[in-house]
Amino acid sequence: MIEIRDLSKWYGDFQVLRNINEEIKQGQTVVVCGPSGSGKSTLLRCINGLEPFQEGEVIVDGVSVGDRSTNLYKLRTEIGMVFQRFELYPHMTALQNITLAPMKVRNKSKKEAEDKAMELLRRVGIPEKAHEYPANLSGGQQQRVAIARSLAMEPKIMMFDEPTSALDPEMIKEVLDVMIDLSKGGMTMIVVTHEMGFAREVADEIIFMDEGKIIERGTDISFFKNPKNPRTKEFLDKILL
Amino acid sequence: MGGFWITVKLTSFALLGGIPLGILVGLGRISKKKWVYYPVTFYVNLIRNIPLILVIFWFYFVMPIIVGRPLDPFPSAVISFIIFEATYFGEILRAGYQSVSKGQIEAGYSTGLTYVQTTRYILIPIAIRRMLPSMITQSIVTYQDTCLAFVIGLPEFVRRTTIVDNIEVRSIQLFGFVAILFLITCYISSVVSRRFEVKRERGY
Repeated sequence: MIEIRDLSKWYGDFQVLRNINEEIKQGQTVVVCGPSGSGKSTLLRCINGLEPFQEGEVIVDGVSVGDRSTNLYKLRTEIGMVFQRFELYPHMTALQNITLAPMKVRNKSKKEAEDKAMELLRRVGIPEKAHEYPANLSGGQQQRVAIARSLAMEPKIMMFDEPTSALDPEMIKEVLDVMIDLSKGGMTMIVVTHEMGFAREVADEIIFMDEGKIIERGTDISFFKNPKNPRTKEFLDKILL
Repeated sequence: MGGFWITVKLTSFALLGGIPLGILVGLGRISKKKWVYYPVTFYVNLIRNIPLILVIFWFYFVMPIIVGRPLDPFPSAVISFIIFEATYFGEILRAGYQSVSKGQIEAGYSTGLTYVQTTRYILIPIAIRRMLPSMITQSIVTYQDTCLAFVIGLPEFVRRTTIVDNIEVRSIQLFGFVAILFLITCYISSVVSRRFEVKRERGY
């Protein structure tokens, strides 16, 4: 589904990504962790073309992201993205947030888009909030609307960029539950998170990044118990306190 | 009362010219092209650091030297106001644009919206809602500032009242009337403006 080969990226002289290689198969959930500034978010943003990269190749569903002739807008309809700070459109209700792209990009009728949106809101557990504005929703509710907004485009891949980092502890679970459901439902997912409970439960692969490199990867809980790299151990000790 | 009409006319022209020019100034201030950004920024900083009364004064007395013939006070005042207010409206526009988070724009892109769609459905609506209260406030300020045009002898409301006062010597009644009229008109506008702000706090 996603193939990343020798991906490198610089901001000016500063190299943010160094020779990243990764393959993600359909239906897999990959968890990416690592200290801040290690390039995790940048990696996600290279996959859906929000950021250009200088070297290497990213191929999503057979389409090369770095290719000049690639229609990035079309590509992004296949890749949902959920942000740390939700980024809902503040001037629209939850329902309007969700229906905007299906109506404008997929040319769905209002009725069709709203029916789908209501179905998604039921799925994330807040159908009663459909006509509320984001400012009236809690963080956890906003993030669930944001997930529904991405799902409304029926993407093949979902990317999450620290989706629970801006949430109060009691709201983290409601968002993680939605993500766990998605993962178990067969969605291909890349999740930047430090929620190791989530990683334990659904991750097919866990990647640890530092200074723009993947320095450790594992498929299950063994990764947490005996990391090969001292840098990983140091980091895991911190987040697993 | 004729003076009040001039004040209203001056305000209207100042806003009709100042807001469109302000939009251009605002766009210049967020432009990435250096040859646009620097001259516009220079203009904004220059004008915003000069008191309005000096801009009016200067324009009235310097332009005739450049053009070669004296200007009427009214067009001269209108142009001074447009030049002055455009910088303020431009800054309001810039601030409104910059208040839209980059993340909201990216959220638009990440669902497959194009640049034009993102600008049309996300950037512009959010920016306008954030800008409206300060736009209205600035319009009220413009309206009040029109009195300053008296320095070039424009018979606007306050100036006209002074003339009448010189004849009739009823300062308290006359200026009291002027103050009340300003108070009423400004109060109405600020009530309108506050309604927008309340809406904004509710999350639009």
